[in-house]
Amino acid sequence: MARRRFLDSHLRGEAPPKLDGRNVDPRLGILDGEGALQQVEHLEQERPYASAPKFSDSNSQRDTYYGLPVLKEHVWKAAIPAYFYVGGLAGASAALGAAARWSANPFLAGLVERTRLIAAGGAVVSAALLVEDLGRPSRFMNMLRVFRPTSPMSVGSWVLAGFGGCASVAAILRKQRLGPLAAVGDAAALGAGILGLPLAGYTAVLLANTAVPVWQGAATALPPLFVSSAITSAASALDLCELNAFERRVVRRFGIAGKAAELLFSEAVERQVGTPEIVSAPLRHGVSGALWRAAKIFVASSLALSLLPESRPVRRAAGWLGTLGTLALRFGVVRAGRISARDPRATFAQQRAAESASPERTADARIAPAQAAASSSHVP
Amino acid sequence: MGTKGFFTDTTLCIGCKACEVACKQWNQLPDDGFHFTGWSYDNTGHLGSSTWRHVGFVERPVSLGMQTTGVGNGSWLMMSDVCKHCARAGCLESCPTGAIVRTEFGSVYVQPDVCNGCGYCVSACPFGVIDRREDDGRAWKCTLCYDRLREDMVPACAKHCPTASIQFGELSELRGRAEKRVEELHKRGMPEAYLYGHSPDAQPGTEGLNAFFLLTDRPEVYNLPPDPVVPTKKARRSWTALAAAAVGMAALAVGAVLTP
Repeated sequence: MARRRFLDSHLRGEAPPKLDGRNVDPRLGILDGEGALQQVEHLEQERPYASAPKFSDSNSQRDTYYGLPVLKEHVWKAAIPAYFYVGGLAGASAALGAAARWSANPFLAGLVERTRLIAAGGAVVSAALLVEDLGRPSRFMNMLRVFRPTSPMSVGSWVLAGFGGCASVAAILRKQRLGPLAAVGDAAALGAGILGLPLAGYTAVLLANTAVPVWQGAATALPPLFVSSAITSAASALDLCELNAFERRVVRRFGIAGKAAELLFSEAVERQVGTPEIVSAPLRHGVSGALWRAAKIFVASSLALSLLPESRPVRRAAGWLGTLGTLALRFGVVRAGRISARDPRATFAQQRAAESASPERTADARIAPAQAAASSSHVP
Repeated sequence: MGTKGFFTDTTLCIGCKACEVACKQWNQLPDDGFHFTGWSYDNTGHLGSSTWRHVGFVERPVSLGMQTTGVGNGSWLMMSDVCKHCARAGCLESCPTGAIVRTEFGSVYVQPDVCNGCGYCVSACPFGVIDRREDDGRAWKCTLCYDRLREDMVPACAKHCPTASIQFGELSELRGRAEKRVEELHKRGMPEAYLYGHSPDAQPGTEGLNAFFLLTDRPEVYNLPPDPVVPTKKARRSWTALAAAAVGMAALAVGAVLTP
């Protein structure tokens, strides 16, 4: 298209049309600069300025650069929080299924089958969601090009790849009861169960390993929150399945523990990112705050229903509430990260607080007096 | 082939934006539209996927050390911002594909033929430099003019800087030059001058920047993070927390199937 328009103008003897914002006439110049490969479909596609969110309870006196963010907000779409949910669901299901198979309790055979199906289905959906979110989906195999232990995303890609393989084999061989094929299926299920443990929570490490204040502030509370949320999601999904009395009891116990832990660790996250106060503002205000609160309310109600005497409608309701709660949690946390990255005051306040918390830091010693003089004079 | 870098002396910057133009032209980057922001002379706003140099303008009601003004107090700070090519780079350490590499010049380089646009580096950069262009799908940032360095040339921005505010060279040599400049400025009556990120000691979070700055006010004023830390440096405690949680989940699963 672009070539055609250039050719047309050339044949008509006109100046070349402005197309890609480079203003290079290909008849006169060669496009081979470092940025020449950058594709331009829409000239104004460069991200617009995001202004800092206005929180009413801001206690920060620090000035900013025209309110512009220091950090870039994440570029992920809804597929990523959706994957956090599905991956957690698959991982926790596989872990419970492996434990159920290992117990060799014949009454849990149905549960084992269900968890294998959920794990394998979850792995396939997870991979699809992740590929969909890539800027260049055709290059998804590059995720397995290297193994980089410093990158939680690289570690997670390998975990998901291994998990997907194991969970698929286990699901295909789920009907085998005896013989070598059953042994292969069980071994694969055990592998999926073990890989399911990191799969359920590495996404929290991935978020904590960023420069986003609200995510990195919850460095140690976020992983257990995501793991317990994964337990909630698996128990809630199984609550929506037909199970026998033994299996229902197993799922109920698993779910009660997961939901209680999830509530506990959401408090822990709030506490951990609570200082300085502005860092946790996205968990209290706006869409992210509403999702975060909704998650707590849904999970608490689901927990209350699980504690009631068992009945079919109560199980169903607990299952739906738990599912909604853990979905709201993942979407809320990801949304909070976006708002947090937009707020330069959160970035500044968190780093200044960490700095003053470690007095042995002599980094600014030489410049501190001058800086102090400069800053005291013009804080608006 | 020693580590190469930039020393950006903001006291020499006159805000001409020749660096922005030279960068766009040499690297053949698309324009970002022509907006009027009203933020002093800054109509660029921030670094991004197709903006690899950005000149910031700060208008303050405070005078600089050796400055005299006719009416009232005031100073206009200008600063040409760029990718810092950190000694410990958050983008590089978080890249799952190995697209981001350290070059023989010590710079951090994104290979466009490998990047699959996962977007993780965007959130991992503590300076908000690297960004994904949505219609291209990949992450882009300053390359320290890798193509020019291979030909023994100076990066386009430094070459075009008319006041030597942007200086390019061997990192060790630049550090010495920068320290001398700060001493000189202090002697001439500008005690607020200091270096930002010039050594691993000055900025342990990134273990030093290959592109460091001479500033005359707090980093926040220039939209620089006061104490940036590469996220990877703190990842161990998150992994430990995850390991503990995973053990807990395994125990819960076994407990749930075993208790009668």
